[in-house]
Amino acid sequence: MEGRMEGTGGLGALATIAYRNIWRNGRRTALCVVAVAIAVFFNIFMQSWIDGMMDSIEEVVRTFETGHVNVVSSGFEAEREYCPVQYPIAEGRSADELADEIEALPGVRAALPRITAYATLFDSTVKHALLWGVRPARELAINHWNLTDRDDGLVAGRFPGEGANECAIGAALARKTGLGIGDKLPLKTVSAQFSDKYWSPTIVGVFEFDYARYDEGVILVSFERLGRILGLGGATQQLFVYAEEAGRSAELRDEVARLLGPGHVVREWADNYWVAVMRQSSFLYVIVFAVFQVVASFLIVNTVLMVIHERIKEIGMMGALGMTRREIVLVFFFEALILSVIGALAGCLLGGLVTKVGSLFPIDTEVFTGGGMKDLPFSGTIFIAFSPANIARGFAFGVAVSAACTILPSLKSAFVEPVEALRR
Amino acid sequence: MRTKYFRAALAALALASAGAAAAAAPSAASLLERVDANEVYASISYEGEMVIEYQGKRYVKTFAASAKGSANSYVEFTNPEDRGTKYLKKEGRLYVYSPDAEEVMLISGHLLKESMMGSDLSYEDTIDNETLSARYVPTLAGEEEAGGRRAWVLDLAAKRRTESYPRQKLWIDAETGDLLRYELYALSGAKLKEYRLIKAEPIGDRRFPVEGEMRDLLRKGSRTVFKMRKVVLDAPIPDSLFSMKSLER
Repeated sequence: MEGRMEGTGGLGALATIAYRNIWRNGRRTALCVVAVAIAVFFNIFMQSWIDGMMDSIEEVVRTFETGHVNVVSSGFEAEREYCPVQYPIAEGRSADELADEIEALPGVRAALPRITAYATLFDSTVKHALLWGVRPARELAINHWNLTDRDDGLVAGRFPGEGANECAIGAALARKTGLGIGDKLPLKTVSAQFSDKYWSPTIVGVFEFDYARYDEGVILVSFERLGRILGLGGATQQLFVYAEEAGRSAELRDEVARLLGPGHVVREWADNYWVAVMRQSSFLYVIVFAVFQVVASFLIVNTVLMVIHERIKEIGMMGALGMTRREIVLVFFFEALILSVIGALAGCLLGGLVTKVGSLFPIDTEVFTGGGMKDLPFSGTIFIAFSPANIARGFAFGVAVSAACTILPSLKSAFVEPVEALRR
Repeated sequence: MRTKYFRAALAALALASAGAAAAAAPSAASLLERVDANEVYASISYEGEMVIEYQGKRYVKTFAASAKGSANSYVEFTNPEDRGTKYLKKEGRLYVYSPDAEEVMLISGHLLKESMMGSDLSYEDTIDNETLSARYVPTLAGEEEAGGRRAWVLDLAAKRRTESYPRQKLWIDAETGDLLRYELYALSGAKLKEYRLIKAEPIGDRRFPVEGEMRDLLRKGSRTVFKMRKVVLDAPIPDSLFSMKSLER
């Protein structure tokens, strides 16, 4: 054995011995491999799930809440939760003029004006809703409104025409109110001059964006018509700027802020509260995954300790034949490492397969949330993110944590005295 | 015909709630009857102004208002932003015509609790038909100074559970009978709104509140000042004014 080790340069021979040793007890080996595989699979699956959820939140935020860069006036920002309309951007300047100016900046794909305002409905079932003044044709050239089907989200009829006395409502809102295409939707809103404005648009479309907040509580209307009713005089309450590359958002934010000057709040999508919360939580997930991996590794730790105990005479003989303590430790460490690698590979295979299949089919989040997270900006269905990088990370993480956990028990073999061991 | 004058804008109701009262120590019921009596007119027409201060901004709304009997009133807003918006109160129901809707709409249910034209008054505040005496049980709570005047304090407890404000507190000028101040309370005891008389003028044989301030305490930093000009009392007003046709005209 010693001669072969010397001949092969040591590590290779030790690895070969370790590899042969793991098949001496197939059941125990299988248990170790399964434990590591489950941990690695869990980590890959959960990471892919979280990535899918984050992708969903980020996409919803970019589409509905902020754009890549969001522009509002300081007055609006101070009262944001009330969606005030009396604080337009760059008061006195038209929305189109501003949009043109921002679109002239390099890297800007579009600057879309939007208005949101609260409405009190005459309906006694649903008393309040949010008026969403947009230009559907321009919006849909940039965004998919239904993030699951990746289309305009229209399930019946059409979107309101520019300036028309029309509206489209969410499918859930239509169900609750019992209203449909052709019905009037009488409502009251408050204008920029703080006047009650009564309006009765005709429903011309029903949409399902698969975003509960919008499907249940949004009335989509023409930007022009809503601006006129609210007395905005061609100005806009918010501007949603979309960049050619989302990665340039921070740079674009600074350029837009310089262009508009003081009195405005310009933010990039990554500043959104939920996006920031999710990103900050990533560190916690790593800790959770590490704990899970360590717990799974205890099985390997236990195996190594048992093996050392079982082979105590063998260790004594290895020492008597001239193997150094380092070499004996390495044999046991390699044994644990090989178990970790086989387990991690199995976990990666399973994780890759499941996440790939999961990425093809939407998952209804209501099944998990019970519909109680409607205020969070994520789509009603999410897709698990299939990512080779996640799989590679899962493998490396699984092997590294499991191997690290077996170093200490492997060292135990170094303290076995050959003579003492052979006497047992 | 004896009628109750409606408060403030549509709501001249709010302003007109002051009245002549006796200066001598009166009973709670007689004090409240005096307040009610001051609100009773055959008809009223005037030009009004609402100055609303909210969220650091100031909005001025002007309107022309007429009322006949306790059940009929008509208000047409004349400031540029609201021009064409008309309200009609007819037999306890409140209708609105908005140029944006181009149709007459009935304001009912939860909408009645909404702020009227952005002011500190709700629609509900403007359509009460019955006198305070009919709706509340008064108790004389003492004598206090209000706005530099000696005033009787009345505590009102609602007779019905459906009343918007289960409790009210009134300060009535001991000398002139003016309703100097009142507070409106929720069932929980929380103060919801408060009114303060700014100016009262003699019109005919009555003292008439021509300027008052209402604060909705649920709206932080908000107040609405009502001013009335060219007040004409008890002059004939054609019934046709209080019709759907007037709204749609």
